[in-house]
Amino acid sequence: MIRWFLRGVSHRRLTTRFPRSPEPAPAGFRARALLDPDVATQDAERIVQACLPGALTLDGGGRLRLDASRCIGCGLCLEACDDGSIAIDPGYELAATSRSQLAVGDDGREADISPSRLGGAFRRSLHIRHVDTGSDGAIEQEIAALLNPYYDMHRLGLFFTASPRHADVLLVTGPVTRPMEQPLRRTYDAMPEPRVVIAAGTDACSGSVWTEPDVQGGVDRVIPVDVYVPGDPPSPIALLHALLLAADRVGEVSPPRRERAVSGIDHNRVGGAV
Amino acid sequence: MIELEERTCRSADIAAELERIGGRLMLLFVTARDSGRELCAIVRDGDRTLALRAPLTGRSYPAVTPRVPAAHWFEREIHDLWGNVPEGHPRLEPLVRHGPEPTEIALPGNGEASAAHRGAERLSGPGVFVFPYGPVRSGVFEAAQFLVQTGGEDVAYCAQRLFFKRRGAERRICEVPLELAVLVAERVSGTSSVAHALAFSHAIEAMSETEVPPRARAIRRTLAELERMYNHVEVAVRECEDASLSVAQAQFAALKERLHRLAGETVGNRFLRGAVVPGGVRIDLSPDGVERAGELLRGWERDYKRVLSMLLETDSFLDRLVSAGPLAEHDARDFACVGPVARGSGIDLDARRDLPYDGYGEFPVAHHTDGDAMARMEVRFQEIDASLELIREALGSLADGPIRHEVGPFVRGEVLGAAESARGETLYWLEAGGPDTLRFCKLRAASFVNYGIFNRVFDSQVLTDFSFIEHSLGLSPAGCDA
Repeated sequence: MIRWFLRGVSHRRLTTRFPRSPEPAPAGFRARALLDPDVATQDAERIVQACLPGALTLDGGGRLRLDASRCIGCGLCLEACDDGSIAIDPGYELAATSRSQLAVGDDGREADISPSRLGGAFRRSLHIRHVDTGSDGAIEQEIAALLNPYYDMHRLGLFFTASPRHADVLLVTGPVTRPMEQPLRRTYDAMPEPRVVIAAGTDACSGSVWTEPDVQGGVDRVIPVDVYVPGDPPSPIALLHALLLAADRVGEVSPPRRERAVSGIDHNRVGGAV
Repeated sequence: MIELEERTCRSADIAAELERIGGRLMLLFVTARDSGRELCAIVRDGDRTLALRAPLTGRSYPAVTPRVPAAHWFEREIHDLWGNVPEGHPRLEPLVRHGPEPTEIALPGNGEASAAHRGAERLSGPGVFVFPYGPVRSGVFEAAQFLVQTGGEDVAYCAQRLFFKRRGAERRICEVPLELAVLVAERVSGTSSVAHALAFSHAIEAMSETEVPPRARAIRRTLAELERMYNHVEVAVRECEDASLSVAQAQFAALKERLHRLAGETVGNRFLRGAVVPGGVRIDLSPDGVERAGELLRGWERDYKRVLSMLLETDSFLDRLVSAGPLAEHDARDFACVGPVARGSGIDLDARRDLPYDGYGEFPVAHHTDGDAMARMEVRFQEIDASLELIREALGSLADGPIRHEVGPFVRGEVLGAAESARGETLYWLEAGGPDTLRFCKLRAASFVNYGIFNRVFDSQVLTDFSFIEHSLGLSPAGCDA
């Protein structure tokens, strides 16, 4: 055991500085599509046909509209488009507090992200209960990755909890299949107020490539959702961002007080290595 | 391409015929033709792959399961989805369709066991009870339910209940435009996106007789092996977590993260989606990218070897895995297991070698005979070594040329596509409805067959080993449920 201990403490720091400083995604990362409102594209029909989950559609006036809560980041729209009206956003911070903020408005632009409805109700710590309602299984691994030394969510006061009775946040993945509707409702009902629901992943936001009758097509068809984080799957940083948005802690520059108060131990270092 | 030897028989004889042939049952399903419904079995026997067809004349037929146990879930699925009754099936309860009434859902603390539980009861007596675990489980897990019958410490019987996650993938693959269907296949089991995309693409390529360019084949092998590596490392992370080895868990989790970052850099998705398409690949590797990947993997291998050698000398880890969750070879064979679960129990099979595709050359197929959780782990560790070697070989032999050929109109009506995921053989049976449409799809992830033996590995096991045994099987509910 002593060997593991030594190995642990001798390892260099791996932990991201996020959210104190931004964490950029690698070039070419396909997080979601972006629509340039200033380019009137000639390829609109081809683009719409290339979009399986229906994130890109034509409105009544024949104008291209984007709903990022449906986008799976496949990048096929980019291949169907020759005039630069579509770009792929490599960003990690994708969460919003309503689905309409993820869709372009009538002016062709996306609205600013408003603060979470209940953000102020939570302080420095959040307890999270996860429910899978039919995900593809990758997002569970991205959520579990929040505990790895690179993301180490405990440093931000974020914890998973086994019981919904202790939970502040319900992190829901999957498009809500029929057999999971009831367990989802029961888990939600078991949570004390105030509670925040995060729909994690494009399938939880909108159903993604799945349709009725097998799935409901999004968590908000069953219970109210406070934060939407699209992505297929959303990266760990995107999930951290969504959790901070839920607690109204986005843009937080100073680390939690507790972390600084303990003298002599650099929590980030230990956290990064153990 | 997988050549099928076609045979036809009467539905009354199919069970006897399958028993006579022996071999491994890969698929059993019902498909509708103009002439009526047909029961179709795909069997692997030695080097041959047989397609055995039997027209279904009435509502029922003599069940295959009593003679060929591997058919047990397939026949329950047929019963759920088509209504055909396999007469004499030992346990014809709903499998893929869940009861719509809330009373059918397991409620902890319910004095009365629901109908779904009653199937799980094997013993009765004072203090013996069924503990329904899931579908919302403690920790971050996919939705699945385990009905553990126990008197306290010993597991008397453990029944698995899946298909909470059924999203209708087979229906969606046929509904959507053909050029977008691979996106659905990638999302059946998100951690095996490459394998599912490959198995689907192999079927489409066989249907349209499309040749995949050599450069694309090398890229496909690279991505498939990278995917295998992070899935195998994930199992190590889970096992270390179960053994409360926090440092080892963190170190393997960091190793896994490095592979996902490499994936994100290389194809733009941390789970390698959007790369494999019928006819080739969509994403090319630049010379700089190849060099960087090679360099990252060299550093990765060095760190991985160091942590692994420490792990294999840690008694508290080995003690929990050795002799836990034993799967006898005859069980693995009877229930047609695949992947590391089968290879850990002495069965020598690997779709990369047996149903060759994408230019896989010679490589050692990992193999172990102990059949316990440790054997399955050792198979995975050996496969990581082989994967590193295969990636080196693939990246070293990248030919110049195109990465994708156009997929032409279909010239074959019915084909089988296969690929070896980290969990085992993944199959797509496709039937063409026109020159560029699909009429029918039957997919079978490795986890569908491997979940079938879940209740067999708990013989004389204790409850505290549950998570070790579960994780050593490395299953994907999403893939199983589709």
